[in-house]
Amino acid sequence: MLTICRKASGTVTALLALSAPAFAHPHVFAEARLDVVVNGDQVEALRHLWRFDDLFSSTVLIEFDRNKNLELDQGELQEVAGVVHESLAEFNYFQIVTANGKDVAMQAPAELIADFTDNQLIILFESLPKEPIPLEGTVAFGVYDPTFYTAIDFTEDEYMAVENLPPGCSRQVIRPDPEEAIAQNQETLTEAFFNDPAGNDLSKIFATTLEITCDANG
Amino acid sequence: MRMASAASKEPDVADRKTAGLFAASLFAGMAIAAALLVPAAALAQSSLGIGTAEPSMAPAGPFAGFLQWVNAEQQRFYRALTGALKAMRDDGSQLWLLIGLSFAYGVFHAAGPGHGKAVISSYMLANEVALRRGVVLSFAAALMQAVSAIVLTGVVFLVLRGTAISMTDATRFLETASFALIAAFGAWLLWRKLGPLLLRGGRTHSLSAAHAHAHPHCDHAHDHAAGEICDSCGHAHAPDPMRLTGDRLDWRAAWSAVAAVGLRPCSGALIVLTFSFLNALWMGGVASVFAMAAGTAITVSVLASFAVMAKDRALRLAGGGRLGARIHAGIEIFGALLVLILGLILLAASLG
Repeated sequence: MLTICRKASGTVTALLALSAPAFAHPHVFAEARLDVVVNGDQVEALRHLWRFDDLFSSTVLIEFDRNKNLELDQGELQEVAGVVHESLAEFNYFQIVTANGKDVAMQAPAELIADFTDNQLIILFESLPKEPIPLEGTVAFGVYDPTFYTAIDFTEDEYMAVENLPPGCSRQVIRPDPEEAIAQNQETLTEAFFNDPAGNDLSKIFATTLEITCDANG
Repeated sequence: MRMASAASKEPDVADRKTAGLFAASLFAGMAIAAALLVPAAALAQSSLGIGTAEPSMAPAGPFAGFLQWVNAEQQRFYRALTGALKAMRDDGSQLWLLIGLSFAYGVFHAAGPGHGKAVISSYMLANEVALRRGVVLSFAAALMQAVSAIVLTGVVFLVLRGTAISMTDATRFLETASFALIAAFGAWLLWRKLGPLLLRGGRTHSLSAAHAHAHPHCDHAHDHAAGEICDSCGHAHAPDPMRLTGDRLDWRAAWSAVAAVGLRPCSGALIVLTFSFLNALWMGGVASVFAMAAGTAITVSVLASFAVMAKDRALRLAGGGRLGARIHAGIEIFGALLVLILGLILLAASLG
């Protein structure tokens, strides 16, 4: 009986595996740089730069090259920027900002700038918080695509930079180990899934994060 | 212990109970999996608005660890693949490296996301028993996907470039068509499974080859309530018209599944092809995509075989009696239902 049960459960496992949640992997890679602009003791803006991989960039080139000159000229680049701008709105421009664990609302960037150099698409934009974020306790910034379509990589810790970091504050880049993150957040993950279509919680778990920590009276 | 009895033709009551439990957990598992796909499919369109994402899912549930590993490997291969492509741009002798990497990418890609595997496996549950046919179907579907990607990229590159129709539009069109076909196919499959059942008032009747097994206890001694027909035998003893044309029908069904699944090219293939064509690496791109298809087909074959083996085992545990017939019919109906549900979910996501 035991053997049968074990065999049966093995088969169920195998079956489950084949219809188990499909998990997309990124098809687009971007090397990113984030500049956090601090004025006094407040965060005023986040400046993003994403440099996309050659393959995705060539897809963009083919799709938007209206005049077939195998180059993206100004009008075509503007169109690229427009499409990306519009699509990212749904995902808060891949930004996750928290102040002492609480979500901070960000404004939609006024514009996105697209550029094409060395066969690579570059996207630039600046996003402002709805209200300036006071630097007290821990303020954290992450950039992540909750749909897993784009892998945003900060290859060096220095690429998450702070301009005018006040004395008494320190910055730290945290890179969660995805496997550990999953193990620790098993329940939250399932819940996040059903309650959080935009994937904000997922991003919090997986994103490479820049933390600025300041003394309370610093 | 009881291993021998599992394989014997006359399983005892305990084994039947096991089979019942087994079937119940099987269905529960699949229902959970189907439910998990619902929020997932909501993410089917790409977050950047350029290119198409695959219907995706966060790594949760009991397979998170495995899927995470698959995901990490996929990313590694994808990066290696893009590296090989870039290298080929400068040095044509990198072709074999590219083909090898594409093959490996295909193997891992199919183990992760993708509707093809789910649809083919569900179809195998609903309708097929022959392993060989499952393998043929998997290869046909993967091959069709490769051809679809090559034709699409070719047309976009040579004809549609510069027009208002972008690759993203064209892919979305194919995607919607493919998902609609899958839903229609599931509905048709379900009708074929349920139709005879409804029309003949509850007689279970399976069209698949699993029915070739013997029924030594048709002249059995177990009790029937007054007026009850030999329900446990479950199958028509005289060949019915559906039965005679069954094989031909099944092949037609099988090819419909292949067409429905294969119509939608995979995003990775499109990206690789676009890059190759742009850099005039025609041969390299095409070879890479076929190598990917071969890898994908192998994984999907393995998974489809699991589906068949699981179904087979459930049936053997259940024995040939009334329970067996019911479980058989149940599995097939569930498989058909799963194809339909998958199709509808994917369709809703791609239209949304």
